[in-house]
Amino acid sequence: MFSILTSLLATIATTTQGAPANFWLPKQASTVAQSVDHTFFVITWICYVFFFGITAALIFFMIKYRRKGHDVVQGPTHNTALELTWTIIPLLLSIAIFVVGMRGYLNLQQAPEGSYEVQVTGQKWAWTFEHPTYGATQVAELTVPVNTPVRLLMTSNDVLHSVWIPDFRVKMDVIPGRYTSLWFEATAVGEYTLNCTEYCGKDHSKMIATVRVLPAEEFEPTMVKLASEYEDMTVGQLPAYAINRLYNRCQSCHSLDGSENTGPSFLGLWDRAKSGDVAFTSGEKLSDLLGEATTYEVPENYIRASILDPQKHIVQGYLGSMPSFQGQLKDKQITAMIEMFKHLSELTDEKGNITVNPDGTPRQ
Amino acid sequence: MTTLTNSNPNDNYLNHTKGIRSWLFTVDHKRIGIMYLVCVLLAFLLGGIFAMMLRFQLLTPEGTFMTQDQYNQAFTMHGAIMVFLVIIPAIPAALGNFVLPIMLGAKDVAFPKLNLFSWYLWIFGLVFFLIALGTGGLDTGWTFYTPYSIDKASSMGGVIPALIGAFILGFSSIFTGMNFIVTIHRLRPKGMTWFKMPLFLWGTYGTAIIQVLATPVVGITLLLLIVERSVGIGIFDPAMGGDPVLYQHFFWFYSHPAVYIMILPAMGIVSELISVHSHRHIFGYKFIAYSSIAIAMFGFLVWGHHMFTSGQSQLMNIIFSLITFSVSIPSAVKVFNWLATLYKGSISLNTPMLYALSFIFIFTIGGLTGLYCATLATDIHLHDSYFIVAHFHYVMMGSALIGFLGGIHHWWPKMTGKMYNENWGRISAVLVFVGFNVTFFTQFMMGSKGMPRRYATYDMLPNKDLFQVYHIWSTAGSVILAIGFVICAIYLIQSVFSGKKAPANPWGGRSLEWQCASPPPWDNFAEQPEVGDCYDYSVLEWNEEEQGYDWKKDAVHPGE
Repeated sequence: MFSILTSLLATIATTTQGAPANFWLPKQASTVAQSVDHTFFVITWICYVFFFGITAALIFFMIKYRRKGHDVVQGPTHNTALELTWTIIPLLLSIAIFVVGMRGYLNLQQAPEGSYEVQVTGQKWAWTFEHPTYGATQVAELTVPVNTPVRLLMTSNDVLHSVWIPDFRVKMDVIPGRYTSLWFEATAVGEYTLNCTEYCGKDHSKMIATVRVLPAEEFEPTMVKLASEYEDMTVGQLPAYAINRLYNRCQSCHSLDGSENTGPSFLGLWDRAKSGDVAFTSGEKLSDLLGEATTYEVPENYIRASILDPQKHIVQGYLGSMPSFQGQLKDKQITAMIEMFKHLSELTDEKGNITVNPDGTPRQ
Repeated sequence: MTTLTNSNPNDNYLNHTKGIRSWLFTVDHKRIGIMYLVCVLLAFLLGGIFAMMLRFQLLTPEGTFMTQDQYNQAFTMHGAIMVFLVIIPAIPAALGNFVLPIMLGAKDVAFPKLNLFSWYLWIFGLVFFLIALGTGGLDTGWTFYTPYSIDKASSMGGVIPALIGAFILGFSSIFTGMNFIVTIHRLRPKGMTWFKMPLFLWGTYGTAIIQVLATPVVGITLLLLIVERSVGIGIFDPAMGGDPVLYQHFFWFYSHPAVYIMILPAMGIVSELISVHSHRHIFGYKFIAYSSIAIAMFGFLVWGHHMFTSGQSQLMNIIFSLITFSVSIPSAVKVFNWLATLYKGSISLNTPMLYALSFIFIFTIGGLTGLYCATLATDIHLHDSYFIVAHFHYVMMGSALIGFLGGIHHWWPKMTGKMYNENWGRISAVLVFVGFNVTFFTQFMMGSKGMPRRYATYDMLPNKDLFQVYHIWSTAGSVILAIGFVICAIYLIQSVFSGKKAPANPWGGRSLEWQCASPPPWDNFAEQPEVGDCYDYSVLEWNEEEQGYDWKKDAVHPGE
């Protein structure tokens, strides 16, 4: 009975794989999107039938039985057969929809054996993606191969987050203290948006990453390069690398144009550190800590400490909500950050827009 | 029609005693109902101002006038005020308090002092929400999800006052529910068996059951949250081995049934309105009555459908999805029964009826879009998007609040003794209907296209130009909606001062409240009235002189 019903519903609502965006849904770019959309349109057609039926009856009755004078009418008060009919038909339809939706859901849940695995960490307000296969780490950007099942193993360092890639029709919450996972297989090369959809505070609406789907043959060389690109760089190349590859981890709290945010702006940060013109909530001043035989012999050490142990000194006027990056950044990457601060004016324009590419060429 | 009222025709509950103290210390259910109505409407104004702030912020992708933090506070306060202070108490505490005892032919609710205490608790709840605003603000969302709400470095300082406020409001709600359960069980008049009660009473009865059974759970949860935030006991905090998802289970175990606390009495009102204003016996009384109870019961078993992406097990997701569909059946049954009631009726397109018809239209959309949310494969995509925002506004605002507005207009002559301006009433009802649909239908489209909810800005989304078009439409709709509400407020206030005097029975209603004067006397009925079939309109006829309905001369009175 239900199989007849569901296959009947299937025929009135077929979509083709990789369909472009339509009135209701964005474009399809994963293998599961087609079955999700199919379920969506099965329900939509049922909704159309009921909605137009009910509305037509409502309007027809409003016109036909509009009050004339103050008459009092008598009509049927109940009809058990009719009422049972309109109880049982929705019941059968509901069960059919449930079955269709459950099948689609099970497809969404079971990642195929041997999926390419990525570790995802959500932290206010940026996504970090680690590729164990290549030892590469990406921030606010996830590169994956096309036509390959990818499994995201996800956790959070602070509050709840949620990964949603609308074009792939997948979503899963990211929870501190446990792992959750989702999988997808992208069907088309291109760039897709990954949103945070579980409210996580101030910059929730900026916690967005780009999923970059590459042709299979380009994927491996890209990842190998990504994993090691900074290792072979000279110090002079590091600032352009840092502002493109590392800064997106900082941008939700630290601006490049001097505007106020959760943390101090990076604009002029090096000058402040060098001169010691920074006051801390503890009442100390950085200038007292700088110099021979004090805490920081050179200002670079202050910046290094601020990245690895941010709670040590909290700049006056800020809450000190920065997490530690201990273990997340290699020494050379910290050097790259410090070099970035020193050369910030060469990397950005006056509005704080980044003007260079990772390889140091000017950005168009 | 004034046969059952007491001797002095000019004495009513509004002028029986005078002075502000006679209101603040009253135990009269009618006065308490009016006090609730005024307070709930003022809270609605406050929540509405926050709503308009949200809509104007989203006119441009970068956000027009608020910072991220301000926007987050605005949507939190909008949600918390509308849910805890407006929609949950609106129909039971304001209209229910006024109408329920009179419908039963009783002089008051079973526990009048407890009733007044509920109102004071509501006021304390409001005060604590205002304290929350003043002591650092509240930015957790009305759901208070952990660990955000327990992390002092993340969320703003007003969390604990807001939690205390919600806790107190919970008790206000529990006491009202207890009062109504006992009143309906114990104070029904002679002849009014369970299946002769007006359907509004079935709606409020179902609601009262949920209020009493579910609200304590959220009370305990909020207390745990207060302790977790202030002392840190490690029940929800993952850093101490707690489980943040456990909080979601506790929270939705109440907050899903809370949706039925909102919608069931609204359905009860619509059942009354559809029947009275089409002068047609309600169709399928028992199916409607049973469906109220069915919704109240199933409502306890479906909370997990808020958590399909929360990491709960696949098996639980499947079970919750299946049970969720069970709620759609009694909801559909009610819609079909209302339609059948209209069939061969004598439909008056007056203001209350326009709201009732709006309700059927909007609730149909709200209910049907619930199918997408109950279905696992589609909900994964739609969860936490604007599709959900649109869906629950269709149910909570377009249905529950529009039912409330219909009820206000239906019982306004009874409550105030004055008729409002019918033409302005109709204009405002149409504006509310159009404004509502323009505001929220666009949100379905942007949600399924990929617009996440609770976003202060959307300039980083690839579809931002398309979303901006939808947001502009939505904001334009909200302006129409606001104009409709303002007009409504103006003519209702105007009617209190200079409205025409209302007859005892302006619409031709048959339930007992239409058998006492408008406004009702202090003690409602001099003696307990006898009841007949509350949907049999054949005994009534129009009286031109009174501009209301009267018993037919030859009609047999019930009990005679």
